Amino acid sequence: MTTTHDFSGRTLLITGAVGSIGRAVAERFFASGANCVVTDLDESAATALARDIDPGLTRVLPLAQDAAKPDDAARAAKAAVERFGAIDFVVTSAGLYRDALVAEMSDAEWRRSIDINLDGVFYTCRAAIPHMREGGSIVNIASMAGHRGSFAHAHYAAAKGAVLTFSRSLALELAPKIRVNAVSPGLIDGPMVQNLLQMNAGGARLIEQTPLKRLGRPDEIASVIAFLCSSDAGFMTGTSLHVNGGLHIAS
Amino acid sequence: MSTHTGRVALVTGSGRGIGRAIADAHGAAGAAVVYLDHDPALAEAAAAEAAAKGRKALGLAADVADYASVAAACEKAAATLGPIDVLINNAGISPKSGSDGKRAPMWEMSPSEWQRVLDVNLTGAFNCTRAVVPGMRELGRGRIVSTSSVAGKTFCDIVGVHYAATKAGLIGFTKHLAGELGPFGITVNAVAPGRIDTPLMRGTASAANDAVKAITPLRRFGTAEDVAETCLFLTSDAASFVTAQVIDVAGGWLMT
Repeated sequence: MTTTHDFSGRTLLITGAVGSIGRAVAERFFASGANCVVTDLDESAATALARDIDPGLTRVLPLAQDAAKPDDAARAAKAAVERFGAIDFVVTSAGLYRDALVAEMSDAEWRRSIDINLDGVFYTCRAAIPHMREGGSIVNIASMAGHRGSFAHAHYAAAKGAVLTFSRSLALELAPKIRVNAVSPGLIDGPMVQNLLQMNAGGARLIEQTPLKRLGRPDEIASVIAFLCSSDAGFMTGTSLHVNGGLHIAS
Repeated sequence: MSTHTGRVALVTGSGRGIGRAIADAHGAAGAAVVYLDHDPALAEAAAAEAAAKGRKALGLAADVADYASVAAACEKAAATLGPIDVLINNAGISPKSGSDGKRAPMWEMSPSEWQRVLDVNLTGAFNCTRAVVPGMRELGRGRIVSTSSVAGKTFCDIVGVHYAATKAGLIGFTKHLAGELGPFGITVNAVAPGRIDTPLMRGTASAANDAVKAITPLRRFGTAEDVAETCLFLTSDAASFVTAQVIDVAGGWLMT
């Protein structure tokens, strides 16, 4: 992996770290020298990930965090500060992407999607902010679905759309000390999109509609997040960056 | 940092300001750089400074509004440094011919001023892109970044209507070309700077600039380097799946 930034002495808190994008982000930030607090609903998977990246667990701290629970967010932020002193970067990567048509969607399905995809972002940011150092950066992972909608994912798309406006509002609140931006992945290779690809003739149609003619890779999201957290993006706040190979071209 | 070793980058309007910073950043990252500017002295001085730092650099004069002039420069650049795989369409003008360094209001704007801004800012990007894309298609890779502006996305009470129209035009240019050129491994993006401290910005009345700074969340003007680093990101491998995007480098101003 080519890393272009030096994050040594700085600390990342990332939720949903076990997902393919979360993992790529943790790997990249670790390789750039950052301390990484990797949280996930699945504690044993978070621990396995941490040991993969850093067998001695010298710079990686795995934690259990249900994004939907405010107390879990507070606990994660506190543990991060106890271990590494402060938080510099927050990446909210925890997400839940399930298929359901609105006409058939249960209250519980709707609620769970909003809980994880939207409330979880609020809880994690709120818990981390008091512990963030000046010059820090928050990157919320939104989605192409938050811009253009998504068939059979209204709950997910609604939450992701809200994450975009939440991020802009938070950028106003935390400027000029902390920058806040969002990244909207398109179709990124990993378990999350497998169902979608199967529903679309193995993905051939979707890839055909993508100008770059392929799926994205998780490390291609991680590299954009690393850029946004770096001083190279020092004048960028309140933006949302699409990483979708051109599949969705709009403002 | 050598993220761009082996790349050949042509940056238009790189004699000074944002273009100069973009070109310098590519040189520092290992690329061979073509400094293309309307003003031969500026182009040559910029290239000479880069060469003095041990970088591969070539200074060329061309008027981007003139296709023959651009085509000749691109041909010379490729013959000297190798095929161009990074193009930055940055050359731009923003006349402030009104009173007190303000824009001319639309109802007083001369048709010739309108036409010149269109020719440089928009047709210039077409001319340069037209000249380099055949080579990029042959290479099977390429990176094109154009300097748009937040003024191309929303009303900015500083610039003239000609400037806003061309900067919006570059956004359509970018999005359309991303679709056409993606299948050849070429990404096409734009940056949309806010108020950036450059000679061009200093041509505006300072009270107007200060008013923008006061409502910019990061409470400062941007630097040419702020924009340059974003361009460098877009032309690097880190942005390999990023295409058709227009990225604000505006400190949160307007959040367009």
